[in-house]
Amino acid sequence: MPVHDLGYRKWSGERADQLLRPLVIARGGVALILKRRWLRILLVLAWLPVMFPALGIFAFEFSSTEPDMQRMIVNVVRRPLARPDLAALILDDMDAARHEVWSTMILAYFRYPQLFTMVGLIGLIAPLLVSYDLRTKAYLMYFSRPLSPTQYIVGKSAVIWFFLAAVTTVPALLLYVLGVLLSPDLSVISQTWDIPLRILAASVVLVLPTTTLAVVYSSLTAESRYATFAWFATWAMGFVAYQFLTFTTAAMSGRRPPRRRRGPINWEEYGVDLDRWRFLSPYHTLGKVESWVFGLDTTSASVLPAIGVLVGITVIGFWIVHRRIVARLSV
Amino acid sequence: MRDVSLRIPPGVTGLLGPNGSGKSTLIKALLGLLHTQAGNGRVLDYKWPRETKAIRDSIGYLPEDDCYIAGLEGIESVSLMAQLSGLPAREGLRRSHEMMDFCGFGEERYREVESYSTGMRQKLKFAQALVHDPPLLILDEPTTGLDPDQRVAMLRRIRNLATRHGKSIILSTHILPDVRSVCDHVVILVQGTVRVIDTLDNLSRPIEPTMHVSVIGDHSAFARRVTSEGHRVEWQPKSGTLRISGIEPEQTSMLWHWAADSDTAIGRMEPAVNSLEQIFIDVASGSMTAGLSASAGLSTDAAVQTAGARRAGP
Repeated sequence: MPVHDLGYRKWSGERADQLLRPLVIARGGVALILKRRWLRILLVLAWLPVMFPALGIFAFEFSSTEPDMQRMIVNVVRRPLARPDLAALILDDMDAARHEVWSTMILAYFRYPQLFTMVGLIGLIAPLLVSYDLRTKAYLMYFSRPLSPTQYIVGKSAVIWFFLAAVTTVPALLLYVLGVLLSPDLSVISQTWDIPLRILAASVVLVLPTTTLAVVYSSLTAESRYATFAWFATWAMGFVAYQFLTFTTAAMSGRRPPRRRRGPINWEEYGVDLDRWRFLSPYHTLGKVESWVFGLDTTSASVLPAIGVLVGITVIGFWIVHRRIVARLSV
Repeated sequence: MRDVSLRIPPGVTGLLGPNGSGKSTLIKALLGLLHTQAGNGRVLDYKWPRETKAIRDSIGYLPEDDCYIAGLEGIESVSLMAQLSGLPAREGLRRSHEMMDFCGFGEERYREVESYSTGMRQKLKFAQALVHDPPLLILDEPTTGLDPDQRVAMLRRIRNLATRHGKSIILSTHILPDVRSVCDHVVILVQGTVRVIDTLDNLSRPIEPTMHVSVIGDHSAFARRVTSEGHRVEWQPKSGTLRISGIEPEQTSMLWHWAADSDTAIGRMEPAVNSLEQIFIDVASGSMTAGLSASAGLSTDAAVQTAGARRAGP
């Protein structure tokens, strides 16, 4: 046979299992997304907020020997994180406070910077996944291979899972490792072994419904900008609607918390039901469940309705995407 | 589709039919992309429609639509398809390069697919269909958008794959000269039913063996001589040929003798064949409805009986 044979040659190698093929879609999607320079920059920027909880854990672990550090962590826990009880516990018994301080720091990381990062990141990535495939009819290429719609959806969703894990789960786990490394001895692992599991559970809570929702929008239109708009609109309008409907009660009754106060506001004293309109806002629904996962839920209502909403979004969203893809194939 | 029953033998089979006749539906049903309400069969060695995933693993499908994965380079698209068919990454890349060489790609394989012309995308889809070395290829309008040179090259590749590499190929097309040049068998679908299945040779053969003969000079003496032998002779002024009925292509030596007897010089001689265009028009219009059965080959590539195909869902 010639060294450079341009003719057709047979191939008879070992083929990978069909169950692994969604991985190929995911790998291809990740590689495709990483080609974009702005996204690589965004990923680097998304890691910056991890500095704040890292600094918090650092300050906490050194607070026993450094009074300045202790003052700093106590102030942070008391004011921005609104946990005066925890601040008092830090002053009383550091070892007893460790689990809760670490959990609070990691939850704050999940809840504030990374939730916004997640919304931005998914809003920019997800429409590129299914919308583009609909526009360029790439789904015909995918389904000419032995793939089911479910495998296709899992493969596409896994692209988002990968990026979300990269900007939330991995930094959160690294925070935990940092905490362990900075602590006086490795016995802290026995106190905090459940935190990595809680991080993983919170990641699942964060990733599954949001990814499904984003893929739903992406599958509803071949115009990716509409999907992007719908995604951001859902978060923004949900947030505004929740804030408006929840806090107008207090405003209407004329009972407002004082401007200058110490400690967190107990809104229930002012007739505000923080849970009543929560299902309108994905941000607040996720916050409720994540707080519960970390054992830090402070509101009185049950977490089950919020879990129900997230499960509903995931299941119904998956069903819609499945139907959309199947409908496309019949054309 | 309804009451479809067909057996497609190895080789190249042309799938013909007017728009909306069910060609693409049949292809999608074979691939398991459409649910059939009833029916069963075998595609290659797999039960259809139960083992559609295995079937798709063994089929190379070139869709009619202009479809591509945005943002990928040509070589990446082929490699991705290779990996989706289960080839290891490195082997998939090697094989992708081979297939792109086979399909006539040069350095443009490193360009993004969006920048490709329609013809290049068509070749790209062909490379993607071939990359996992499937025993059966289903090509839906593979020559659409190709310039004449590329079209000839594509048809040559298709023929080459069938004859030298033992591939079975189903070629769905509207371009009848393409069918004439590469196909061994023809299936004609009309309104969701199979109207004709036969070998191209059988379809091309007139009901009565006939030869077209053009002579140099006056043809009347030669015509009289042939008529005296009991054959019907018809002068066709449009083509300037004599149409002689009842002569098999193997019996042409007789014609040479009779020409010598009548002192006539034969310029050209060829067996008459049915026009595929005419057969297609007749079948589509309903004036020819014979369900001719395939006589060539009993070994079956795809044998399918279906009572209806609707609704998607692989």
